[in-house]
Amino acid sequence: MNPALRPSRLSAVLLVLCAGFSASALAHNPMCECKAIDAEQIKCTGGFSDGSGAPGVTLDVIGYDETILVPGKLGADSTLTFKKPGAEFYVLFDAGPGHVVEIDQADIEAP
Amino acid sequence: MSKSAMAVQPSRLSQLWHKWRFHINVLLLLIPLGFMPKYFSDQALFRGDSGLGEREIGEVQVGPWSLRLAEFRNLPPQPDGAAGYLKGFSAALCDACIEPVKATYLRIGKPRSLRAAGSLFFGTPYSMGTQLPVPEKTKADAELWITMEGWDGSMHQASIPLSQASPATVAWLNKQGAKQ
Repeated sequence: MNPALRPSRLSAVLLVLCAGFSASALAHNPMCECKAIDAEQIKCTGGFSDGSGAPGVTLDVIGYDETILVPGKLGADSTLTFKKPGAEFYVLFDAGPGHVVEIDQADIEAP
Repeated sequence: MSKSAMAVQPSRLSQLWHKWRFHINVLLLLIPLGFMPKYFSDQALFRGDSGLGEREIGEVQVGPWSLRLAEFRNLPPQPDGAAGYLKGFSAALCDACIEPVKATYLRIGKPRSLRAAGSLFFGTPYSMGTQLPVPEKTKADAELWITMEGWDGSMHQASIPLSQASPATVAWLNKQGAKQ
């Protein structure tokens, strides 16, 4: 038998591989980023910190008076582009209770 | 020429290995022992045997309810990729709150609405946990807001200074001075 394929050696290699590639406990905290793409439009991208996207997740644009200015959902590419509201606003990425990200208009990068 | 003189001399490494292999293997068995104290203290923390967390903040009254709050680790917020920096807190509801309280949230700064009340505590009401996002530009004099929502639809809020909740976080924020 090829000494490189001895069962004991094979299991040692397998053990190392299993330890190295084991699925570590990945947190998946929500994240959201908004950028102004021009003077009128804002593009927001949502996702989770484990690298997964967030297609279909609610993203609302809410006025400082708590009225919902743009009720939206992220598209298949986990983004949503909307027209900048006239009133003061913040963006709420809402993946469920406790899984929200708020972005104030002051924190949105200019184009 | 004799037979023994023709035998290949084992290498120096091989000689060393054959001489010391038993001792080296015993050393390998001893290495894990060095990690035991940290392992057992971590297990005690995860099980709750050493309290709610590494640093107890104390009892916080939230309207008619109250909860015991603690920092899970007495450490500054830890980075989690694009989600930013997160700080772990633990909480235990008061005995009378376990039935009526539906959800408990934590947020830096006063929440704008119940929908944006912050990170949600999850787990058994005797030892819940949450990961609170800490924006890097948080002011050192910020307040930590606790929002409790009842099954009857009522909502109560309370706040404590961040410096009281987590001195480690405030020290970290002060160190980031340039980013503020």
